Amino acid sequence: MKHYLIPTVLLLYTFAAAAPAQNIPQYEAALPGYHYRFPRDNFNHPDYQTEWWYYTGNLWTPEGRRFGFELTFFREAVSRAPHPDSVWNVNDVYMAHLALSDIQGQRFYDRQRLNRAGPGVAGIDKHGGKIWNGNWQVVWYGDHQELQAVTGRFSLRFVLNSMKPPVIHGINGLSQKAVGRGQASHYISLTRLAAQGTIQLAGNSFAVTGSAWMDHEFFTEKPGASKSGWDWTCMQFDDNTELMLYRLHQNAGSEDRYSSGTYVDAEGDAQHLTARDFRMQPGSAWTSPKTNAQYPVTWHIRVPSLGIDLTEATPLKNQELVSRNRFTPTYWEGAIDLAGTKAGQSIHGVGYLEMTGYAPTPGAPGKGPDAPGGE
Amino acid sequence: MASIRVFCRIYLRPLARQPLRTALAAFAVALGVAVVLAIDLAGRAAAGSFHSSLQTLVGNADLEVTAAGGVPGAVLGRLATLPYPLKLDPRIEGSAIIAGAGENVTVIGLDFIAHAPDAVQKAARSFSSWDANGVWAGAKLGLKPGESVNLVVNDRETTVTVEGILPSDSAHVGEDRILVMDIGLAARLLGRENTVSRIMIHTPAGSVNRWEQRLRRVLPAHVTLQPAGTRTRENQRMLRAFRWNLRLLSYISLIVGAFLIYNTVSVSVVRRRPEIGILRALGATRTIILSSFLGESAFVGLLGSLAGIALGRVLAIGAVRLVGSTVNSLYISSQPGPIVLGPAEIVLGLFIGIGVSVVSALSPAREAARVPPVEAMARGRREYEARVKKKRDLLIAVVLGVGAWAASRMPAVSGRPVFGYISALLLVGACALAIPAMTAAIVSVSSRWLLRSLGPESFLASRSLAASLRRTSVLVAALATAIGMLVSVGVMVGSFRKTVLIWMGQELRADFYIQAAGTSSPDQFGTLSPGLSQKIAAIPGVAAVGIFRGYPISYQGLPALLASVNVGVSARYSHMPFLAGGRSSTVFSKLRGKDRVIVSEPFANKHHVKVGDTITLPIGETPSGKLQPKFRVIGIYYDYARESGTVMMDRATLLKYLPDPSADSIAVYVLPGAPGNAVRSAIDRACAGHQVLISSNRNLRANAIRIFDRTFAITYALEAVAVAVAVMGIAGALLTLVIDRRRELALLRFLGASKQQIRSLILYEAGLLGLFSNLAGIVLGMALSLVLIFVINKQSFGWTIQFHWPVAILTGAICLVYGSTLAAGIRPALIAARLNPIEVIHEE
Repeated sequence: MKHYLIPTVLLLYTFAAAAPAQNIPQYEAALPGYHYRFPRDNFNHPDYQTEWWYYTGNLWTPEGRRFGFELTFFREAVSRAPHPDSVWNVNDVYMAHLALSDIQGQRFYDRQRLNRAGPGVAGIDKHGGKIWNGNWQVVWYGDHQELQAVTGRFSLRFVLNSMKPPVIHGINGLSQKAVGRGQASHYISLTRLAAQGTIQLAGNSFAVTGSAWMDHEFFTEKPGASKSGWDWTCMQFDDNTELMLYRLHQNAGSEDRYSSGTYVDAEGDAQHLTARDFRMQPGSAWTSPKTNAQYPVTWHIRVPSLGIDLTEATPLKNQELVSRNRFTPTYWEGAIDLAGTKAGQSIHGVGYLEMTGYAPTPGAPGKGPDAPGGE
Repeated sequence: MASIRVFCRIYLRPLARQPLRTALAAFAVALGVAVVLAIDLAGRAAAGSFHSSLQTLVGNADLEVTAAGGVPGAVLGRLATLPYPLKLDPRIEGSAIIAGAGENVTVIGLDFIAHAPDAVQKAARSFSSWDANGVWAGAKLGLKPGESVNLVVNDRETTVTVEGILPSDSAHVGEDRILVMDIGLAARLLGRENTVSRIMIHTPAGSVNRWEQRLRRVLPAHVTLQPAGTRTRENQRMLRAFRWNLRLLSYISLIVGAFLIYNTVSVSVVRRRPEIGILRALGATRTIILSSFLGESAFVGLLGSLAGIALGRVLAIGAVRLVGSTVNSLYISSQPGPIVLGPAEIVLGLFIGIGVSVVSALSPAREAARVPPVEAMARGRREYEARVKKKRDLLIAVVLGVGAWAASRMPAVSGRPVFGYISALLLVGACALAIPAMTAAIVSVSSRWLLRSLGPESFLASRSLAASLRRTSVLVAALATAIGMLVSVGVMVGSFRKTVLIWMGQELRADFYIQAAGTSSPDQFGTLSPGLSQKIAAIPGVAAVGIFRGYPISYQGLPALLASVNVGVSARYSHMPFLAGGRSSTVFSKLRGKDRVIVSEPFANKHHVKVGDTITLPIGETPSGKLQPKFRVIGIYYDYARESGTVMMDRATLLKYLPDPSADSIAVYVLPGAPGNAVRSAIDRACAGHQVLISSNRNLRANAIRIFDRTFAITYALEAVAVAVAVMGIAGALLTLVIDRRRELALLRFLGASKQQIRSLILYEAGLLGLFSNLAGIVLGMALSLVLIFVINKQSFGWTIQFHWPVAILTGAICLVYGSTLAAGIRPALIAARLNPIEVIHEE
């Protein structure tokens, strides 16, 4: 759910001037009552401007060496104007982020890429069940997916098996992000993916198993200018339940009433949580040596209605993805540990945490993530 | 310390005493060095420009994927999704003309989304419009951000907007004539539907070779995967012979310069004989004498080289233009790279300048060292007559001549006519050694006649020349060498020109030729929209339309052109002369629809292809297995259009492998009796909306011959410098002659000669020198031209040139040289006439 930041910035990057153009077909707005159908809704929704598939997970070698990973595929529609037919036409830009956290080695590796569809360079192929950006790809085979990503430093190859049905967040198929019609997204998650595969790092190959999480969202309207960032976290507990929470903040500190979350019980039933249902309190902060941004890397989380009271902490403080150009954001995204109580019982878990809006985007000083995208 | 003083005294003081002579000798060296250096720098710059303009923008790649007719886009998709950490950089390249300015620019499309070069990111005002029509211009183009530019690409005109200016990199001056844009815009501009020009691949650490093997397995057979820069190296290899020949040509002025140094030092030895005698008597060893003269000429060489290096750098600017235009019209479109005068070039300049000076001073200096002290002193200041062994020299000349003939029969050494040049050098030597005998013979035969018909001045002049035979011979040899080169190159170029004219008459039979107005060069053609040819074929009065299409390919590591024609049309109309394979109509009929080809003479020579051979071309793959298709060679034809060579096939055959129907040019044959003007207007109407050039047959030929002449401009420039050096040498030599013979001239005055007669005497000497030089030069030039045409040219470039005499040009050139020689005698003649005989005799 980093999410809003990147597409918005992408827009800035690409086609700020495309907006005043004439007669460009309008994109669909995310509205209540959307009828979800799978596997169709696992794939592309070109009528919506923005879409992403977002994988995170925690994995261990048999010896207990722990890794975290993040692999995201973004699609941002740039134009739907009818073009003369050319494979180089930029109807969508495809961005992808890949990160590997070597918890034991206390190292963090990340890569970013941006592409147009081109002649098969990036895209979503519903029939082949494939979502890819160069040689980072996910292929769906019914219930399981194969995820593969290669870089010069490291590579991943996992098989992901979904243990639960897809969860649709929000109310009536809609995850509202701000006040107003269409200020929302269609937000689907696979909250417990059993993961198995190999990680290659610096010439070594590690067989790993663990659990992953997938988010898939599509929408058109970006949240308004008031949002300056958010903290999003997904949690997988050892009692086979999961929790997703996000907290939108206007300026560091002040929370937004559209913050929300979802609790998924052991059977896979989802329960929507509103901003009033939970508290996320920042704890100790880590200061990035690269950007000087201060990220709260421990959190105190309470969901009174579920009797949840726990502490979220990271085993690796530096999981910051620093932007390499003036057009993409800098943010923190990393593996976390959870410990606390749930209805009086001791509970543990792992998950992922994302924090945005703490470091300014190099190219847009003084502006938040919602710098005008031309709309 | 003492030795330094001795050096200054013996070596440098004489130089200072003879500033004019020293300056002339140094100037001869300077010109020689300058020409050699300028050609070297220019050749390097012209070849250096093949380094991709983009290396500075996007960095170096390890491998590159290319294909005749472009790399299919799907190859990029395939490579991008391989599980290897490769960085891929697809490019679409082409050229355009800025409408109005008429300036040629290279168009380069990069994937700005995947990785816009830093320069583009920095120059970007916003990223809003590059998809539509935004381009980044090289600084050299002088465009301003926000400016709209009309580009003619192929046969269409498009407007683009300058989004930014690429930083001007002083080390890459020539590379700034580029327009960089997003690959999408480049594809649209250049009409590339689904192919890219090349894909650059950055491989991860490790053996590039291993990556090449690994990637080769996943690529289709018609796609070429090579280490990056292979094309550049191939192009440079293609140019090697050209540059080599050019460089050798530039050494001519050095040879001429060497003769003049030799002369200067000889004169100096003669004049300073008493001095040498005294030194020897005082105990100076032969080594000291030898080294003193060598040191003197080394110093002259140093002065000359320094001036020559500076001058060469200046001349290089002009030479780059000339060499560049040759390269462009004959080989490949390129923009000259920067002229880099580095330490290596400076060392080269010093080395050849000082080296030539010392080597040419060697013989007179040794002679000086051999002077017996007593004899030298006893002889006083009288003229020393070198003993010239005419007979022995003539004998050596004959031996050298035979050697030259033998060398001319030898084959090329790795594509270079090494023996051809050895043969030429031997001929020059033979000529120089035959000159004393020739001069003596002519003088003895003609002096009586001269006395009778032109008077005593001419008689005295001829006798004087014969008496100082050695000096005369050197001067005549210098000028004769220059004239010989002038004649030989003149004959070669003239023959070539005539050959091309005759060939064009047979080859170009159509009435009109249509090509795209966007740039056309030996390796890049603008394409005409498909459909235009049908429109033209439908015009009443048009008998037939021939469509030409060419793709640059790489064959056995060398660039070549793959071309196609409508063989039906060619069989009917072409009178293309064939070297092997039969008559053109038969050969063309046999080509029709088959996997057969004909190749041009240079191609056949370069790749040792004979009729009946089978060649493999990188243009597709056989249905069974991933092999490239094979073609049978059924003919070899004369071609003077492309040195790199051409492979030609039927249009239908080529379309089978490369199904792009666009044409590069269209030949229109008009029905006999049809009204030419009406047809022409109908063609104009059919081409409305297309940016095309329509040439009549005559225009096309005139254009072609203009390009030909431009191509050889550099050759003429080199010749001119050599002749200028020689003529200047004559002027200097006559001047020293006058000074040396003051006593003799004064005596003549005492004996009753008038000033007028003294003047005539010197002018006659100049005239006779010129005459001897011209005679020897023409004979030498004749022999050299045979070597040039039938050995050097054939071996370097592989084309057959018919021998023709370019009488008019040669006569003109020789008259000019003769006139200059006479003119060179004017000032010495005036000085001689002004000598005060009383003073001169007093000196004695």
